[in-house]
This record gives sequence, structure tokens and C-alpha cells, in this order.
Amino acid sequence: MNLMSVITVTGPRAYPPRVTRFNAPFWQSLEEGKFTTTCCNKCGEATFPPKPICPRCWALNPSWKVLSPLGVIYSYTVVHAPPSVFAAEAPYAVGIVDLDEGLRVALRLVGAPERLGVGMRGTVVTLKYNDGPYFAFMANE
Amino acid sequence: MTKSVAIIGAKGVPVGKIQSTPDAPFQVVEHEILAQLVASAVGESGVGKEMIDALVFSEPHVYTRQKYFSTFMTSYLGLTCHGSVMEVLGNGMTGGLAIERAADEIRLGRARVALALGVNMETATPASEHMNITLRATGDVDFHSPAGFTPISWYAMDATRYMHEYGATRAEFASVAVKNRRHAAMNPLAQFRGPLSIEDVLASRPIVDPLTLLDVPPRSDGAVCIVLASEDLAKELGRPYARMRAVGSYHEGVHQVSDRPNDMIAFNAAVTASRSAYADGRISAADVDVSEIYAPCTVVEILVTEALGLAPRGGGARAAAAGETSLGGRIPVNTSGGCQSRGHPARLTPLYNALELFEQLTDRAGDRQVKNAELGLMSCELGNYNAALVHILERMR
Repeated sequence: MNLMSVITVTGPRAYPPRVTRFNAPFWQSLEEGKFTTTCCNKCGEATFPPKPICPRCWALNPSWKVLSPLGVIYSYTVVHAPPSVFAAEAPYAVGIVDLDEGLRVALRLVGAPERLGVGMRGTVVTLKYNDGPYFAFMANE
Repeated sequence: MTKSVAIIGAKGVPVGKIQSTPDAPFQVVEHEILAQLVASAVGESGVGKEMIDALVFSEPHVYTRQKYFSTFMTSYLGLTCHGSVMEVLGNGMTGGLAIERAADEIRLGRARVALALGVNMETATPASEHMNITLRATGDVDFHSPAGFTPISWYAMDATRYMHEYGATRAEFASVAVKNRRHAAMNPLAQFRGPLSIEDVLASRPIVDPLTLLDVPPRSDGAVCIVLASEDLAKELGRPYARMRAVGSYHEGVHQVSDRPNDMIAFNAAVTASRSAYADGRISAADVDVSEIYAPCTVVEILVTEALGLAPRGGGARAAAAGETSLGGRIPVNTSGGCQSRGHPARLTPLYNALELFEQLTDRAGDRQVKNAELGLMSCELGNYNAALVHILERMR
């Protein structure tokens, strides 16, 4: 249930995220093909990215929740002029995706940029690099 | 009862590539440029240096070697102050915050004359290297930045969405760049003043789809000084000035992107901030005669004119293409030439916008003068207009 595709990518991440004691479960789950975030135990609201405090009611000690990776593209762009750390990957697409569970996320879009479109459905996937995982969205064929 | 604020002077250096490369035999140094500009701006405003009691700077970029810039400059200029000497930083809102904080010093009676000023040098570093720093502002630095967002990628996604919802075209976006170039041709401070066509914009190289090189801002350096005073003092001076009639601000609690689906291209912060400003000034959007809008990309100018109520929702692109926002049109927008052609020294853009409105409201704008302009509006923002600061300035004779 809610397991994502794990795509192996050669080489390290161009701009690796920092793992903290708090956020480590997110990156561990991502490596296992699960897209997770924090959910408030008091008001029940989920937030993304995961946070140690609920931005709505400020309650602490949230729970981790596995999200459905399904969603729809709200908007996107293809970056032709990137920061030099991403130069080897250009052109690449990034976008905003509304997940079926009601969260909006911004992330890399994988697949051919020329076939992307607003409103396309797809799924979040794990990108497994040499040095750790990252996440992206793959539009349906 | 707080004091009414006036802008009594404004000077800037021509926007362009000013910063020296490390191997240049003669280096360009920020404080040398700014000191001469301050003397010129204050001198023309008719007040003496001893009357200045506050200086609010936009924080210089990381490339500026001199640190403690505000206190250093105050010493360099031989000033003593009872009010604040400080630097502010707030993304694209930086220059607007400098004006607003300087105005506060006057409102609260801490200064009769206050300067809002800054120098922005960054062009000696290529964009691809500069963005290795600015990518850290494109969202959560650990969750979003690793995807490869760039600051203007957010505006590109606004453009994609706007085209999807309203059927706007790239040619309509390009009409904004062409209009701004026409304005810039009449502005001696503008970075790009040569002729430009819709075809030129459409044929320029892709940067962030659907935006091309001439839809997005150039790299720019600049230096600018705005002289603010209590309105009592401005009246004593007996010269034309611009009164700060109203202000509105709003932060919608979002950094680039909300984690709940919302209408991203409504630019809600600009809607709310402008409504506050209109209420504060007891005016409506229809009363605005000229506006200087912080709009790095063509599509942003369109979306902000809609959010400010200067164009109907979904109709901003058509209004721009029809010439409604051109000089001589219904509501002239960015008579300076805007970010694309006047130039975009990002931390100073709102200060250059204030300079343009000061010139418009005191009949100093030459060939780009909006006849009988009484009320001018300026707006600036944090990332993707998730926060906005709007000022209304009024002509006073």
C-alpha cells in the first residue's frame, strides 16, 4: 500500500539535503519507497515538508504518516538556465503537484519535459542516488 | 498622532554592469559611489547634512567587501544621528522596507530628515554562480532546493498556470517587455534603451519555460538614495514634493509555495496589501495615475496589475497587449522601464521605483512624464509575491 517506484540514479545528488535527528525518518522511509510527512496529534493536520511543530496549532511531537504518492500537476517549468551545481542535469523540469491527500508539494519532475502538461496525473517516486535518496514526480504514460 | 512623511529628493546612478572584475586595474568600490550620490541627493533636496538623523540601508550583497556597511557609511559621510542607522533585508522587498523604516523614523519623531539608500553590486559573478547562493531561497533549503528550483522558476510556473487558466499567450507576455523597453528609451537611468520587438522577445533563448531571456530580468548593479522628511519640513522648503499618502502590507504566511492547494496566481498578498493601502488613503485603484511595480518577469507585471485592481482578473495580459499599461494608456505601469529594461539591482529595485514616482510626481520625468499625475503607487514583494508592501505617493505643490 502506497509503495512508490524506486529509480536508481548514477552519481551523487547535486545539492544534498541535510539529515537531522528529527527528519531522519523521512529520508529513511523515502529510501524504502514510502513518501511520508508529519501529522499533528492535536489538530490532525498534515504539513509538508515535515516539521517538529504543527504550523497551525503549534503542538509538538507530531506523528509520521505515510502519504499516497498519487497527485496531479498544478504547474511546472523547464529550467534551461540553472545554478552551476545543476548544470549537468539541464534542461530539467520542476513543478507543483497537488497530492490526492490534499497536500501541495513542489518537486523535480522526471520523464521527457516536452510531454508534460498542467492537469496530468502521476505519482511521487524515490530517486536513489549513490549518496542517498531524493523525491520526484513522474507523470503517467 | 504620528507625523506625515514626504519624499523631498531622489537620485540614482544609471543601472547597469558597474561592478569591477577581480583583475581590473581600478576597482569599483561601493562606498565611494554611494557617498557622492548621497551628497548630490541631499544637496538637491534643499536640506543640510546636519538635519539628517536616520539612515536605513538595503543590505549590500555578499560581494560587497566592506562590512558593518551602515555604520561605516555614516562615519564616511561625517554624520551624527539620533535615530536609527541600520541595514534591512527582505528579499525583493528590501528597498521597500528601507523606505518604510526610514518613514517610521520620521513618523515617530526620531528624525526630521531620514535617508533610505543602498548600493547593489553583483554582476561580476556570473548568473550560474550567483544562483548557487540564491537557490537557497527557493523553498525549504533541504526539501525543495535540491530539486533545482531557481528564483524565477516560481514566476515561470505562474506563467504556465496563467496560460492554462486564461489562454494567455507568450506574445502577450512579450508585449510587457516591449512596452517597458519603449519607456526605458526615455529614461537616462535605464540599463537597456535600444529598440525591441515582440519577435525579438519570442526568439530570445529559453530560460525557464515559457519565459525567455527578454521576459526575465537582466543582471544589474546600481546605487540610489531617497531623501525623506517630515511633511512640515517639506512645506517649509517650499519646493514640490511627494507625500506618502498611504501604505499597506500583508504576508500570507507562505514561503514560495503553500502546502495546501490555493490559487497561486491570485497573488493574494498584493490583493490584501493594496486594499489596505487604498483604504488607508481613502482612494480606489481607479484613482491611481501611475504605478511602479516590482515585477522581475513580464508575467509578474501582468499578475500584479490584476492583484492591485489595475486590470480585471484574467485580463491583465490582454490589457498590456492592448497598450492600457503604456505611457499614454489608461494606467501607465513602470514608466521607468521596469525590471527588464530599467534594470533589476534586486535589493534596490523598490528604491529605484520610488525615485521614478518622485520624478513623475514632481514633473522631473522628461519625455516619459505622465501628465497631471497626482497619485502614484509602488509595490514590492517577498518570494512569489507571498508578501507585499504597497505605498501610495501623492503630488504636493
